[in-house]
Amino acid sequence: MSDETKACSLPTTGEPTATRSAAPMWIIVTTLLLLFLGGYYFDLHGGWFNAKVYSPYYSAEKLDAYQPQSGAAAALARGKRTYEAVCGICHGTDGLGKPGQAPPLAGSEMVNCAGVNRLIHIPLAGLNGPIRVKGQDWGLAMAAMGAALPDEDLAATLTYIRSSWGNNAGPVTGDDVKKVRAGLGASPQPMSGLQLLKMPE
Amino acid sequence: MKSGISIFIATLVALGASWCGFVLAPTLQLGGAKQTVVLQSTDNWPLQRTGAATLGLQVYRAYGCAACHTEQVRQDGAAFEVTLTDLGTHKPDEFTAFAKSLFVLPELADYTNAMSDNLKGWNGGVPKALLVCTDKDIASEMGDRLKAAGVNSETRIVATGPDITRGWGSRLSVAADYLYDQPVQLGSLRAGPDLANIGVRAPDARWQLQHLYAPKSITPGSTMPSFKFLFEVRPKINGEASPEALTLPKEFAAEAGYEVVPKPEAKELAAYLLSLKANVPLYEAPFTPLAATK
Repeated sequence: MSDETKACSLPTTGEPTATRSAAPMWIIVTTLLLLFLGGYYFDLHGGWFNAKVYSPYYSAEKLDAYQPQSGAAAALARGKRTYEAVCGICHGTDGLGKPGQAPPLAGSEMVNCAGVNRLIHIPLAGLNGPIRVKGQDWGLAMAAMGAALPDEDLAATLTYIRSSWGNNAGPVTGDDVKKVRAGLGASPQPMSGLQLLKMPE
Repeated sequence: MKSGISIFIATLVALGASWCGFVLAPTLQLGGAKQTVVLQSTDNWPLQRTGAATLGLQVYRAYGCAACHTEQVRQDGAAFEVTLTDLGTHKPDEFTAFAKSLFVLPELADYTNAMSDNLKGWNGGVPKALLVCTDKDIASEMGDRLKAAGVNSETRIVATGPDITRGWGSRLSVAADYLYDQPVQLGSLRAGPDLANIGVRAPDARWQLQHLYAPKSITPGSTMPSFKFLFEVRPKINGEASPEALTLPKEFAAEAGYEVVPKPEAKELAAYLLSLKANVPLYEAPFTPLAATK
């Protein structure tokens, strides 16, 4: 490039000045588009700043899906979920029951007996009338809260009850529940505590 | 300087924003981190280091080990692995034939092929990994079908990625692993292997010491410098070697009548290396340990 052309390319009208002029439309559009894409990417990969979520899991839900769930531990976790949703409202998440509402399950004779037949009858058929728990008589009614639960879920819930809060009784299987459900028929009547005690364990 | 105020405010905002992002947010997120619990267990993680290992961390720092070694395992993904644990009454070849019939639908042919590849040259030993796939439903479906056929299997969660394949760990490194590291020495260059679980790969202190003294005596092509100055070459007392003396191959051994013993720094560094064992599953880094299959 010669000196002449260089001189020609210089501005000829005095000092340059800064002026306010509107940003070009394409810059605004591109910026908005990049912001949107960034937000979308963040939503997919950010894990919402959860300290427990690392790549490659990207979200708490995905991380949960990869938690080991097998055998007894999985059944207990399932039972705990169902218990807290269905039973815990009255019996308490600590299994201690509520005065005037529901008897305790922790340490209850009905829960801790060797056989599971009577225990399965309670959520399937419901209770009506007096029942003696830990030396105290309860004269309340309980609806058949477990009748709508699938066999495996009810079994997992009862297993959870029988192995939590100091209870230490064996597991309940889905087949146990199935057997009792078949024996009860289509529309079982709520039982009283005395009726329950007459049944085999 | 007519826009001094604007420049000051803009600078403050820019620096403040990066300070919030790089200092404040991580401190709020992880500053109060405490020991966590190992998945499906009541053990705590991580465990406080012993005194020697704590001092060893400073030795590791002083000699710049982090310049060539990282302490972070990366993970690309996670998958469900169906592992055969008990063949029941079946014979291995009979089972191989049966495995081919597990997924008959054409869209599942990939799984059948993968399984056939895994079973090639299998002698019937268990546990045997049958299938690695990212789909939980396929894995549990397969477990059900195997159970129906009288074969016991286990669905394991495994981490995947190049670091895992190299055997450098069983899962990604997470913040909890570094709770007692002061400073945290993640490292950024891998002239040597990752050390996040070196205490699991080489759990023998004598191995560690020999490797520090003469890396080539263990790995012939090693580019690691020898840390001979962490050891003392001294005459044997009455011709008896000290119990701490290294047992070295002939070409690396000290001359006759002399022995190589580690100085305290070397022992501390070895203790620190042995304390690096990121091998337990955590909530944020789940996997199924192999011991569970036994």
